Amino acid sequence: MSRLEIYSPEGLRLDGRRWNELRRFESSINTHPHASDGSSYLEQGNNKIITLVKGPKEPNTRSQLDPNKATLRVTTNITQFSKFERSKSSHKNERRVLEIQTSLVRTFEKAIMLHIYPRTMIDIEVHVLQQDGGIMGSLINGITLALVDAGIAMWEYISGVTVGLYDTTPLLDVNSLEENAMSSVTLGVVGKSEKLSLLLVEDKIPLDRLESVLAIGIAGAHRIRDLMDQELRKHAKKRVKHASSN
Amino acid sequence: MSAVITVVKKNGGFQNANMVLNKSIQGFVSSDEDEDNILDNDIDISSSESDSENGTSKDRLSFQIVTPGELITEDPIWMRGHGTYFLNEMTYSSVAGVVSRVNRLLSVIPLRGRYSPETGDHVIGRIVEVGNKRWKVDIGAKQYAVLMLGSVNLPGGILRRKSESDELQMRTFLKEGDLLNAEVQSLFQDGSASLHTRSLKYGKLRNGLFIQVPSSLIVRAKNHTHNLPGNITVVLGVNGYIWLRKTSQMDIAKDLPPGGSTGAGSTIKSNIGNQNGGLSANSTNVSITRLEEESSWQIYSDENDPDLSNSIRITITRYANVIKALAYCEIGITQERIVSAYEASMAYPNIGSLIEREVMESLGADVINGEKMRGNAV
Repeated sequence: MSRLEIYSPEGLRLDGRRWNELRRFESSINTHPHASDGSSYLEQGNNKIITLVKGPKEPNTRSQLDPNKATLRVTTNITQFSKFERSKSSHKNERRVLEIQTSLVRTFEKAIMLHIYPRTMIDIEVHVLQQDGGIMGSLINGITLALVDAGIAMWEYISGVTVGLYDTTPLLDVNSLEENAMSSVTLGVVGKSEKLSLLLVEDKIPLDRLESVLAIGIAGAHRIRDLMDQELRKHAKKRVKHASSN
Repeated sequence: MSAVITVVKKNGGFQNANMVLNKSIQGFVSSDEDEDNILDNDIDISSSESDSENGTSKDRLSFQIVTPGELITEDPIWMRGHGTYFLNEMTYSSVAGVVSRVNRLLSVIPLRGRYSPETGDHVIGRIVEVGNKRWKVDIGAKQYAVLMLGSVNLPGGILRRKSESDELQMRTFLKEGDLLNAEVQSLFQDGSASLHTRSLKYGKLRNGLFIQVPSSLIVRAKNHTHNLPGNITVVLGVNGYIWLRKTSQMDIAKDLPPGGSTGAGSTIKSNIGNQNGGLSANSTNVSITRLEEESSWQIYSDENDPDLSNSIRITITRYANVIKALAYCEIGITQERIVSAYEASMAYPNIGSLIEREVMESLGADVINGEKMRGNAV
């Protein structure tokens, strides 16, 4: 890693971004109308993710039935070809993947109004087609889009982003090269507020730098929220136009 | 935390515009306004509120699109309905959809979502489970509906007592995978439905083909069974499940004027030969004895009619593809539109080609144009 210049003196990163710039963010919703109740396809930089939301539906087993609220389940399928080099194992039941799933469930349990769907199950299925760092944030964004598409009631959008810390400079929305070279923090931000529904710190971060890292992360997440909102509104306008022309 | 960096989009890239130190909430709101300027030209909150104060300026408000977490109104006078939530005297949206205001009730109608049953809905469902004195039916809602053994017509007539042997042979009436049409009898506390089939127009479905469309495309109406040209009958379930079948004698009877539409099929059955005479006298008296005669084992038969001809099957598939085309164009599905799209589809001899994207679009356009020409477009 030493030969690569993560952050040049001119203030440019490996892929030409500045410290506070997001990666290309493109999304579309309702991509799989027959296979699911809500679906999205998200490209955040080189992360490519398909998300399917099925439900609220009848739970598969009795144990998944909660008389007071809906049961949330997240299944992550990280494909073997998602990284630069093909991995030998399918990532099923890998500790890391299970951990991702649990933290996603915890994040969205608080965002979805589960209490208005008693005795049902909401099944979220994520397929990672390609990954290039900051995957957790992209997963959150993809799931938010698909949930809104499914018409499931939520308190707010959740937008996710990963911020790295290079020496003293926070770097917004890191890619895999940067992620491997420095410590990073993943945020799940609630709407346009400064509330966090997820704060994932897997590496050591100097405490006095954490504030600036969080600040740029929240600002970036707000920007992502706006981008998702734009996409949803574009879609909604199209639908309403269709409906009114009938 | 105190520092917030607003990321502003300029010339296609993201640049750091200003670093605002937010000691107070006020400062945060100001950065919010910055973002609003970047956002596209949606109906902003302030203007919609002034409208609501004025009262009923519906034409503009009816298309107010909101997304989760968006402030709809600060006016506490509104009652909050589905798709909204209330926080500190303010009403927010919880789904992406269109704001609807009925009197003082404020709700958001989601753009998509599962079918939610209402009492009296005519639905089509599939049996998924045979349980204790009840069947579980998938009607495309959030939960399975229940069909009690006591809510079906059993062979032998309506007045027959349900015995233990009936409980034991429930699978001979309806088993897993069977399709039936039914009416929503009542709703449970949690929103799931209880069904009944106590009318001759309900019951097991045979001689046809099942299609599924989004439930939003089917509007609740007085009648959901329609006879179509080509000897086909369509049952448009409110839940978006559609059944296309060969027109039966009951269906023909149903189409006849007064009295014929309320399960009185059996009385008219004898009249089919001479439809012109003596109709009104007979069709008005729906007797229980007639119902008994009709409720034979035949209504739970799994066999298709032996005379289900190839041409009927072809017509059914044509109708099925026509309905798929209407659903693709997101056009509300009604009898008139199915017929008009069916007529338009005659230009394509190959039925399989009807579900090619361009063809579906042109069929949809044909239907809409046809309605505009006739001047009955909504």
